[in-house]
Amino acid sequence: MMISILILQFLMAIMSYFISLRYLFLTNLLTSGINLFIGFGLVDELMHTNYIFNMHHLLFLDALNGFLVFIILILNFLVSIYSIAYLKKEMENRLENKKVNEFYFYTNMFVFVMLIVAMSNNFGILWIAIEGTTLTTAFLISFYKNKESIEAGWKYIILCSLGIGLGLFGVIILYFTSFHFLGESLDALNYTNLYSIAPKLDKKLLILSFIFFIVGFGTKVGFAPLHFWLPDAHSQAPTPISALMSGVLLNCAFYSIIRMESIVNYSYHDTTHVISYMLVFFGILTLLVSAIFIIKQPDYKRLLAYSSMEHMGLIAFAFGLNSRLGIIAGVFHMLNHALAKTSIFMNVGNILLNFHTKEFSNIKGLFKVMPYTAILLMLSILAITGTPPFSLFISEIFMIMNSIQIGHIGYSIIILSLLVVIFAGFIYQFIGMLGGDSELKFKEDMILLFPSFIALIFLCILTFYIPEPLKILMDRIPSIVGVEK
Amino acid sequence: MLSWIIEFLGAMSLFVAISQLASNRLNLSIKIYQVQSIFLTLSIFTVGIAFNSFELYLSALFNIIIKVFLIPYFLFKIVEKIKIDREVHVYIGITNSLLISVPIVIFSFYITRKIHIPGDIVSLNLLPMSIGILFIGIFIMISRKKAISQIIGFLTFENGIMLAGTSITKGMPLIVETGVFFDVFVGVLMAGVFVYHIRETSLNIDTSKLSNLRE
Repeated sequence: MMISILILQFLMAIMSYFISLRYLFLTNLLTSGINLFIGFGLVDELMHTNYIFNMHHLLFLDALNGFLVFIILILNFLVSIYSIAYLKKEMENRLENKKVNEFYFYTNMFVFVMLIVAMSNNFGILWIAIEGTTLTTAFLISFYKNKESIEAGWKYIILCSLGIGLGLFGVIILYFTSFHFLGESLDALNYTNLYSIAPKLDKKLLILSFIFFIVGFGTKVGFAPLHFWLPDAHSQAPTPISALMSGVLLNCAFYSIIRMESIVNYSYHDTTHVISYMLVFFGILTLLVSAIFIIKQPDYKRLLAYSSMEHMGLIAFAFGLNSRLGIIAGVFHMLNHALAKTSIFMNVGNILLNFHTKEFSNIKGLFKVMPYTAILLMLSILAITGTPPFSLFISEIFMIMNSIQIGHIGYSIIILSLLVVIFAGFIYQFIGMLGGDSELKFKEDMILLFPSFIALIFLCILTFYIPEPLKILMDRIPSIVGVEK
Repeated sequence: MLSWIIEFLGAMSLFVAISQLASNRLNLSIKIYQVQSIFLTLSIFTVGIAFNSFELYLSALFNIIIKVFLIPYFLFKIVEKIKIDREVHVYIGITNSLLISVPIVIFSFYITRKIHIPGDIVSLNLLPMSIGILFIGIFIMISRKKAISQIIGFLTFENGIMLAGTSITKGMPLIVETGVFFDVFVGVLMAGVFVYHIRETSLNIDTSKLSNLRE
């Protein structure tokens, strides 16, 4: 079943370059729907077994990457609904037909390589696929071919290739530690094999490899001193791509760090070692930097990009706690952040489509101009800042609770105060845009509002009720990461 | 004997990477990159002969096709087509760059002095050399202004990684190596396309002029 998802996605990507636009929108929606459906099947299969292998153990699925695949497929579905209306609207603004084909080609390729990231059982292939995400999104970022977007694309391709190159060095060092035990073949980089021999691996080399991983793949996650490409790329890309990049790509990149973390955890017997401090350090630093830039940000898409950094910082912090509850909170936060970020990006995308400006100061009176969008935007802002009826509140409170339990009271205080600052920043920035008076009146397209509405409903439901399959998956993840208590 | 030859080839790669810092013309930089790739190929080939491994011969073949011919050809073509002055513009002058390369190399030997790799390896001395090439590549990327120089810095950096990947042990798994070659090749092609676009939108390829997006 894993193969069928991959094949379908790949065929769709190739097809979308050639078929005429009349069918393209619907075929794309259909494919993502079918893939989501197969994905549900996979999650269901995972209920009965711990591992699913495929293609001579090259593809595999356990609770951790099953969860990631689930996030990718859901977001892909929501985004494919949204992009229909988005691109139709863009075509009214004189976007050529050929560009639409191109858009779908790269987007589907992007989703395809992300699925490989999530499903592969091998660090080598994981690396190739992560570099693949860089290559497939670079042209999407410079999609509008103006000065700013070219600059963003250039920064993105250079900085990310460099970062991931360092990640490759980490993979090579990992290979050095393991080839003696597993033989000189692809097996020496398989997660499942590495897990079984982890205690025998050389600890010093593993830590060195982890440092290269966290710096290399951390560039792609957007950890603080390495984040310079992120706000540019996320703000210049077309909105559906911004949503996919913030919601899933960052999670995929972080997933590779989690895999490495789990190998280090298996190799040590206790879980309080230097790598958890590294994750906590990067998490808090990222949170700090994003908080500073959120307060004084004039551009709303950049603000959301910084907010993605904030949430990746929180997730890194949660994983850095290296305890059962912390990891569950981190994984849950991945899902919540993906949904909330997609929702808010879609809403600001609607605003951008009509106002053609990204500055807060040029927009006002949204409640009068686009009432439905404004309501959904308001709710999404509450969701993304972690206000109660939405489930980000739950995952954040679990993280903080857990870090207090472990005894990191100082960290908890820093994080809580930064979260307050970010909340204030969000409200302060967006309130001027939402309130006020305006003469303008734009027609709102229901298809553009629908996915964001669905995402918000999900976020509300997840607060009170987590479906049984998700609960089982989340319950298994800490032991996959190598944390028992 | 074998490890001596491979160490010599690795040291030559490092030397060529350092001489990359001294080049003041774009064409010369590309040629230096070509020479470095030849040394890398020879090193992979020697390891291949020593262990009689088909995978390494294949990897050497890929290396010579992609890094010695295709990528430099493509880069020469870009330089020709964008019709800019061929000088390398720098933030840090040539003399200073060369001086900085000394502590970089010493540093890379220093950090790897206690590393021990279990299993049979060809030559551990290649690890500090490849880390040195890697750092010099990064240094080229941050000290040069022109987009093409930055691409060359990235390629140098990547050669360092490949040297570590192929010559310290009997090479990485073939699928991984092929994937890396493919990704690097496509990456360079795409970066080249970006160079064109940068040239079109801002009339030069000096990345220090790319400053529309900032806080």
